[in-house]
Amino acid sequence: MKPEYVDSVQWDIVRNQIDSDYGAGVTKRILGALTPVSLPRAKGISFYLVPTGWLKILDRDFKQFTPLSLGMWLGDLVEGLFRLSLPALERVQEHTSNLLIVSRRGAESFTYGRSILKESVVKIAPSLLRGQRVFILNETNECLGLAALSVDAYKIGRLAKDRLVAKNLVDIGWYIRRLS
Amino acid sequence: MIGKEQRNRAKEIAKKYGYLPYMIERYVALWGEQEAIQFLEACEQPIKRAIRLNTLRAPVEETLSRLTAKGVRLEKVPWLDTGYIADFTRISPGSLLEHMRGFYYVQGVPSMTVAEALRPQPDSLVVDMAAAPGGKTTHMAQMMNNSGVIVSIEQDRLRTASLESNIHRCGVTNSIVLRGDSRKLDQLGLAPDYILLDAPCSGEGLIALDPSRKRSKSMADIRFCATKQDALLDAAITALAPGGTLVYSTCSIAPEENEFVIDDLLKRRPETKVVPINIEFGVPAYPAPYGVELHESLTLARRFLPHKHNVEGFFICRIEKEESS
Ligand SMILES: C[S@@+](CC[C@H](N)C(=O)[O-])C[C@H]1O[C@@H](n2cnc3c(N)ncnc32)[C@H](O)[C@@H]1O
Repeated sequence: MKPEYVDSVQWDIVRNQIDSDYGAGVTKRILGALTPVSLPRAKGISFYLVPTGWLKILDRDFKQFTPLSLGMWLGDLVEGLFRLSLPALERVQEHTSNLLIVSRRGAESFTYGRSILKESVVKIAPSLLRGQRVFILNETNECLGLAALSVDAYKIGRLAKDRLVAKNLVDIGWYIRRLS
Repeated sequence: MIGKEQRNRAKEIAKKYGYLPYMIERYVALWGEQEAIQFLEACEQPIKRAIRLNTLRAPVEETLSRLTAKGVRLEKVPWLDTGYIADFTRISPGSLLEHMRGFYYVQGVPSMTVAEALRPQPDSLVVDMAAAPGGKTTHMAQMMNNSGVIVSIEQDRLRTASLESNIHRCGVTNSIVLRGDSRKLDQLGLAPDYILLDAPCSGEGLIALDPSRKRSKSMADIRFCATKQDALLDAAITALAPGGTLVYSTCSIAPEENEFVIDDLLKRRPETKVVPINIEFGVPAYPAPYGVELHESLTLARRFLPHKHNVEGFFICRIEKEESS
C-alpha cells in the first residue's frame, strides 16, 4: 500500500460530489497549489492533499513501512460515496453557504455525537433542502462538524422543539472519542 | 558491590514506599540515601498539569484569553514559548471546545522541552522515530509552521490511531505517518536534517503519574529497553544527514537507559558528538553514574528530576553527526 497519483475517474467522482454538495468550484479553491494523492484502504480509498514538492518522497519504495496518512486528509471514497474528513471541513466551510448555526447547548450535545433538534437552531439559510449536507457552527461561527438536513429549511419554523432537524454525520468530538 | 547492611536498609525503604528493593539500591547508589528519599517523597506528590498552546490553530493570546474566560488558571513555563502550567479547576481538560479544535495539547513540561531542544527549522526534513500519540510531532509542526516534512513513524497499530487523530485535530499538514519499525529507518533512503528519538523506555520517570511502576519492571526489563534504544540510535545515526542533529530523550531516570546508552553510542559511532542544548532547564546529566566514569560531554545532556523540578523524570540529549561522515 503506497500513495498514488489520483486516478482521474475517481477524482472526478470526488470533485463532482464536493462541488454538488457545497458549491461549484469549491474543490478547486480548497486544492489551491496542492496535489491530490490517494491511499488504497481495506475498504475504499482515502484522498490527501500534499505540496507538489512531496511527490519525489512519495515515489519511493516504502519497503516494510506502511503509509497511513500524509499532508491534509481530504476524505474517503467508499462504494462511490465521498465523505469529507474533519480537517477538510474547516477548509470547505470558508467557501460554502450551507451553514446551520446552533445554540450553546445544541453545540455541546452535537460534539458528543448527537443530532440537531429544532430547539437548538439559531440560524439557517431558508433555501437549504432536506438531504443536503450542512456545516454545524456555534454562535461564534466555529465549525463543529457536518450534518444532513432531515427537513427543508423553510419548514423548520413549523416543527415542535424536540423534532430532528439535522442528523450528525461527523463532529469534532470524534477526535476525543476516538482516543478513549 | 553493596554490603548486607545496605541491602537490608534498601529493603526497609522499599517496603515503606512500596517499591521493588533493586530500585532503591540503585537510587541510593546514584544519589546517596538522603537524595534518594527526596526522590521517593517527590514521587508521592501529584504533578501539575501542563498544556502547550498550538499556534497552528490560534495565536497564543487568543487561546489564553479563551481559556482564562472559562476559569482555567495559566502560568507560563519560563523556557517555553507556548508551554503553560494549567489549573483547570474542576473542568476536564479534554472536554473543552478549545481542546477538540486543537487550540492546545495536554503535555508534560519535559515532553515540550524535548521538541524545543531539537527546534527543527522551517522547510527541513525531520523524522520522528517513535511518534505516537503525537505530542512531539504536533509540537515540531507548529515550530515549522507546517512547512517542510515530518516523517512520523510508529510501530504500534493502536497507537497510530491516536497519532493520526492528534495530527488532524491540531491542524498538522506537513506530516507523513508511517507504521513500521524505526530500527529499519535506513530502508527509506531519507537523509533527514533532524531526527527526534523519544525512545520507548521503562518509564522510570513516571512513577508519580503511575504508581504501579514502583513494582512492575525488573532490571531485565530495563536492559531490554536499553538494547532496543541502542538499535534505534544506530538506525538514527546511519540515516541522519551529515551535519544533521538528533535529540534522544526518555521518560526514565535510569542511567542504564540514558547516560550509559549515549556513552556506548559515542564509542560505537565516532562520527557523533553530544552538543549543548541552548535553553535553560533541569540539571546536567551524570558523567559518572554509580561511580562509573563516562564521556565528559554527557554533562551537556540534561535531566529533569521529580525531586528538583516537580515534573516527570526525563533525560534529553542533543547529538550532532559530523559534516564529513
Ligand atoms: C515514549 S513513546 C513516544 C511518545 C511520542 N513521542 C509523543 O511525544 O507523543 C514511544 C513510542 O515508540 C513506539 N515504538 C516502540 N518501538 C518502536 C520501533 N521499533 N519503531 C517505531 N516505534 C516504536 C511505542 O509504541 C511508543 O508509542
